[in-house]
Amino acid sequence: MPILLPILLALACAPLAYVAGRWRTGAAAWMGALGSLAALGALAWEWTLGPGRLVLPWAPSWGLSLEFTRDGLSGLYSAMALGVGALVVLYSRAYMPHHLHEEGRPARDEVRFQGLILAFMAAMVLLVTVDDLLLLFVALDLTTIISYLLIGFDREDPESRAAALLSLVLTGATSVVFFAGAMTLGLHYGTFSLPLVIERAAHDPASTGALVCLAVGALGKSAQVPFHFWLPRAMAAPTPVSSYLHSAAMVAAGVFLLQRLYPLFAPATGVRDGLLAIGFVSMGMGSLMALVADPFKRVLAYSTIAQYGYALVLVALGSEGAPLYVAIHAPCKAALFLTAGAVTQVTGKKKLSEVGGLRHSLPVLAGASAVAAAGLSALPLTAGFFKDEVFFHALAQRGPAFMAAGLVGAGLTLAYTLRLWWGLFGGPRRDVPAAPRLLVAPVAVLAGTILLGGVLPGLLVAPARAAAAAMRGEPSTLELAYHLDARAENLLAVGAWVLGALLFATRRAWTPALSRVLEGTSRFGPERGYRLLLHLLDRLSTWLHEKEVRDLRDRVASVMVPTGLLGLAVLGVTPLRDRFKVGTVGWADVTLVMALAFASAAALATLRAKGHLRLVLLISCVGFSLAMVFAFAAAPDVALTSVLVETTFTLLFAGLLALLPPDRLQHAQEEAQKPRGRDRLAAGVAGASAFLLSWSALSHLQADRVGARTVELAKAAHSPNVVAAVLTDFRGLDTVGEMTVVVAALLGVTSLLRLKGRR
Amino acid sequence: MISFVPPLSRLLLWPSLIIALSLWMKGGASVGGGFPAGALAGLAVLLQYVTAGRDQARRFVAVRYAAPLAGVGLLLVVGTAFLPVVAGYAPMSLFPRPDQPEIGVGGLHLHTALIFEGGLMLIVFGLVVTVIDRFALRTGGEEEESGP
Repeated sequence: MPILLPILLALACAPLAYVAGRWRTGAAAWMGALGSLAALGALAWEWTLGPGRLVLPWAPSWGLSLEFTRDGLSGLYSAMALGVGALVVLYSRAYMPHHLHEEGRPARDEVRFQGLILAFMAAMVLLVTVDDLLLLFVALDLTTIISYLLIGFDREDPESRAAALLSLVLTGATSVVFFAGAMTLGLHYGTFSLPLVIERAAHDPASTGALVCLAVGALGKSAQVPFHFWLPRAMAAPTPVSSYLHSAAMVAAGVFLLQRLYPLFAPATGVRDGLLAIGFVSMGMGSLMALVADPFKRVLAYSTIAQYGYALVLVALGSEGAPLYVAIHAPCKAALFLTAGAVTQVTGKKKLSEVGGLRHSLPVLAGASAVAAAGLSALPLTAGFFKDEVFFHALAQRGPAFMAAGLVGAGLTLAYTLRLWWGLFGGPRRDVPAAPRLLVAPVAVLAGTILLGGVLPGLLVAPARAAAAAMRGEPSTLELAYHLDARAENLLAVGAWVLGALLFATRRAWTPALSRVLEGTSRFGPERGYRLLLHLLDRLSTWLHEKEVRDLRDRVASVMVPTGLLGLAVLGVTPLRDRFKVGTVGWADVTLVMALAFASAAALATLRAKGHLRLVLLISCVGFSLAMVFAFAAAPDVALTSVLVETTFTLLFAGLLALLPPDRLQHAQEEAQKPRGRDRLAAGVAGASAFLLSWSALSHLQADRVGARTVELAKAAHSPNVVAAVLTDFRGLDTVGEMTVVVAALLGVTSLLRLKGRR
Repeated sequence: MISFVPPLSRLLLWPSLIIALSLWMKGGASVGGGFPAGALAGLAVLLQYVTAGRDQARRFVAVRYAAPLAGVGLLLVVGTAFLPVVAGYAPMSLFPRPDQPEIGVGGLHLHTALIFEGGLMLIVFGLVVTVIDRFALRTGGEEEESGP
């Protein structure tokens, strides 16, 4: 199973790192990095074997199987996740001890952090390798859950926790929408296997609703408008998290999904136009916010929103360059995030207005991050140049308006990148202690990769073509080379640089006005809607809770009344045929009627019973009478179980009375003798519903239909006892469910009573 | 006066447990099954708690480990239900299948339903005994506190 090798190696990273961390805290990061490099090696080896698929049957009777693929897209994205992951884990070795020390947490927690990062890496590799709609959803949710733990890693910090919750709610909710889309497609085409779905969609295009659902899931992950606001908030996380999740991995997952599912979107021009518009809006908004943000991690976060806007535009245009764009953006953005973290560690500052002039103290970091910044703003001799080349190439085919939008977007990118780099390293000299070598080395490695791709673009062609071919389902003819002529792409690039330089030079003139405008508009954004929604939900739940717990009777009513209304609603919507029939009573039924009369009398007597013990005895009297009814009705199994359960119940109930405080019991007794109007109403609704439901169900009962056939089947199932056959065989899954509930109740009882005992 | 209840209840323990086991074993063919078997065994233990007290009742291993037994029962139930899926059958497939011959002697037949019922029995037994034990623990503790 060669396709699984990188996944298995990636999955092994986190446990191995944990074990190594138990031995020596510092060993975890090296072990994790080693593991991810091994996975990367396995990936490279597989790359030489050519594309392939692996199908493991899982539950064939339900048509489910685990499907994995090895193609250009999975290769490119896995390489990105593994490579950047290894560097980020090493970086965290140098970063986390300082961070944990500042947070006042034990140094051991570093291992937990690295384990989570590695687990995230494995989830990401899984996500890009699976070839099945359901597995895609599972892997997507895995990334969501681990990202929640990572963003909320500083659990003492309320801001961090709120940010983690926001990202969980937003990406979790959108991934549920994705699931709805995936289910719609799966049920429509009769399979969840992606190649089969795509093949069948070629004749029978997917419905717009399903596509919109899939797109919403992807947009939420990629932090595109209107789901963008979780990303800047998530910057509360430690820097390695921001660097990995919010540049190379989690945010990339959204755009990856769109690329993986592109053949479904290709015929739906309406949906693609919508994505195009969202991409341009995210691009513009992210860039403008990045131009004025002060904390440098926020600048990078807004830049991520903008850059994934570009990638979204490329996907929506169906460009061959979309996977390449994401792959080149990842090292640039990761390097800049790591730079920001290193600067924060040596200076203790987090805002652009508080730092500056660090190029003398941190020369290597300044140089490496300059390369990364040049890559992000697409200057030549870096791989970044080609990401804008493919972007401009795609826009040039669509006309001048698109070209103008692309030019402005690229110009803004250069302007904010320059502002960021200059804000960190430019300006009057300031001396700070040197950064640890391990903090700088990953940035230098990433910068080296960016330079290598820029100098030898031929290296990028093969993976980019393979990924484009996997995305579009047709061979790609993507070319990457420098051309010294006046073609549209080159003119646009030069125009963007001029615009960016101009914007940067005149920044003092427009920054205050722009930040005022953006501040004004942010009051009406979707973030406000989210807060309002959260607040209202909170109020609603508090209100309901107060209503429910006011006293015991209200609590009982809050269960009984909704159940009763539900029962009545069920009766209301089902057809009325053969319902509420009154049967006949013969002499043979006398014993049955007597037992029932006894049960009813006991039930009525509970209304006037004084003292709880008497109440318990009366209730058990009802139960025993019913057991007698079953015995008369020739149902020995039910009667036996009934007697045993009733005995147990009575004894336990009596035992429970000993546990309750006597004054509380007295109080409840007095209350019960004085029913209020709403108690009568609640009892009426619940009682009427139960009565009508039972009557209706019993009038449906036809002895021959249920009896004879079931007896026959029970014999065939080697279980002459029909009740046992129904319990274990015909309705076996129901029994499993019920038993799970019983065990859950057991756990509840144990923990509740132990808690009380301790107090 | 010496009550006849404690010695009688001690005498009754083993017969009740054996009846419970027989209810389980013959559940597929006649009256019985895992659920009543578990309830009966639980009642037998309850009687020990009432007459002999918590410490005496907890001499038995099955009583001390009642809650884990319920977990084992759930594993048995879920395992019987879903292990066939691994072999390509529908969930909740019992063996021997309806068209396969039975293995067994007299009233006793080997069938995976027996494992399933055994799981039910352990769960019910575990629930009843654990709840009794918690009650006894609580009431016993309070008596000590309110004592002289």
